[in-house]
Amino acid sequence: MFSMEQLTDVLSAVSHPTRRAIIRRLANGPARFSDIAEPFDLALNAVTKHLKFLERAGLIEREKRGREVLISLRPEALRLVADWVHEYERFWNEKLDEFEGYFKQQKRSKK
Amino acid sequence: MNNIKTIEVTIERRIPASPVEVFDAWLNPKIPGTPWNMAEKLLLNPTVDGFFYWAVRGTPHYGRFTAVERPGRIQHTWMSPNTSGLESTVNVTFKGKGKDTVMTLVHSGLPDTDGGRSHEKGWNYFLDMFPAQFLDASRTSK
Repeated sequence: MFSMEQLTDVLSAVSHPTRRAIIRRLANGPARFSDIAEPFDLALNAVTKHLKFLERAGLIEREKRGREVLISLRPEALRLVADWVHEYERFWNEKLDEFEGYFKQQKRSKK
Repeated sequence: MNNIKTIEVTIERRIPASPVEVFDAWLNPKIPGTPWNMAEKLLLNPTVDGFFYWAVRGTPHYGRFTAVERPGRIQHTWMSPNTSGLESTVNVTFKGKGKDTVMTLVHSGLPDTDGGRSHEKGWNYFLDMFPAQFLDASRTSK
């Protein structure tokens, strides 16, 4: 069973666009750290922090296979969030992601 | 109607622009991510006691502006089929932080009904994001 603390952890974990992108990537199947970090223009320790956040929320797990460590999604924890996501929370999150993205794009094009 | 339990949704973002720029952009239907941007039909009068109407995929949304304080705050009421007849309130504040703006949106007075907080709609949030195999994986783990 999940506790309210875990729910808070999961909600915090999915509140960040980078972590949502990582979840989206892992929905395709387990991946190595380097594969997860590759699409992001982020320092590796920043990606590590995001992964730790997701791991603490129970959204991902690491498994050693030979010399490699594979990271995979644990979708059970997401169902907990899905039960709590209000329609308007989803609506405004999508809107504000788009709004923030517009300004970030503007800022990049000014450089 | 008074027996309906209501909830509040709070969303915060840090936007890389000044409060004036962000405030003005939020009221500009041409800017992606504003609620007015995707409207198929839009009437927008962002002054105190001014009204808005927008519709998307045939779903109407109405409201009345109750505070327009450039560049710090915008507040308006919000009614749609999803508010189950309740007049909910959207309050957006813009606070400067360094070169950025912390934008906080609070949508209060939302009905906490099965329709509003439905599992199916919650799942849609993720289904929009995830490929089909994720859905299959989550279903098998039930």
